[in-house]
Amino acid sequence: MESETLLRKPVPLQSRSIGLSSIALPWQLAALGAILLASTGHLVIKLGLIAAGHEASPAGGRARIIETLFQPAVIGGLAIYGIGTLLWISAVARKNISFLYPLTALNYVIVSVGGKLWFGETISPARWTGIAIVVLGVALLQLSSGEDQ
Amino acid sequence: MTPSLALWLSIVLGSCAQIFLKKGVDQKGAGNQTGYARLLRSGWVWLWAFSFFFATALWLVALSKIELSYAFPLLSSGYVIVAVLSMVFLKERISWMRWMAILVICLGVVTTWGSR
Repeated sequence: MESETLLRKPVPLQSRSIGLSSIALPWQLAALGAILLASTGHLVIKLGLIAAGHEASPAGGRARIIETLFQPAVIGGLAIYGIGTLLWISAVARKNISFLYPLTALNYVIVSVGGKLWFGETISPARWTGIAIVVLGVALLQLSSGEDQ
Repeated sequence: MTPSLALWLSIVLGSCAQIFLKKGVDQKGAGNQTGYARLLRSGWVWLWAFSFFFATALWLVALSKIELSYAFPLLSSGYVIVAVLSMVFLKERISWMRWMAILVICLGVVTTWGSR
């Protein structure tokens, strides 16, 4: 009885990670978080660009670029995107890149749907079809997930 | 530089960046530091950061001349490039199921952006 308990000592969760111990998130969480944050970052940047456009400044060229870059929503969006990149690094440390990289196609899905919800952009039937195909592809990708060591 | 050269360079450089990053995070025994700080000591990670930056810059150059609806479907070729590079340089094994998934995703991206 006692020896059996000893044998069933739990395997440390991080035994398969490669030593980035302070960014030890499960890869699913890291990858999904990275994709969600990247998409959100893009949408927030768009929010800032709309705000910059609405201010209708007469200045053109360089002044216009600087004004746009310093929109709070543009800075915020870039920051969100940056945090997403840190999570992406954590995911890449744990999973094959040939699996992870195609997952980023979900960005198109989230940004399209986000654009519809936030900005009232229209999604054509063709685009819905494309979105459905991307989701199908990601589902297929999941089926190949277990093959990585 | 022509816009389509900028576009293709951006796609290839962006794909290489992912391979550099994977090389960087897979490096072992880089001192006692853990986590993100440790990554700063990896040349691969710096290479990733520079590639990522220049790929983005080239993308912006391309987009100033090329329509988004033309450029975006081409971006999906990056998934195939990354898969091939990961086979060659990282020795990743890619099953037929994964190849199929990658091709379906490319088809989806082309459908999403190719039809205006």
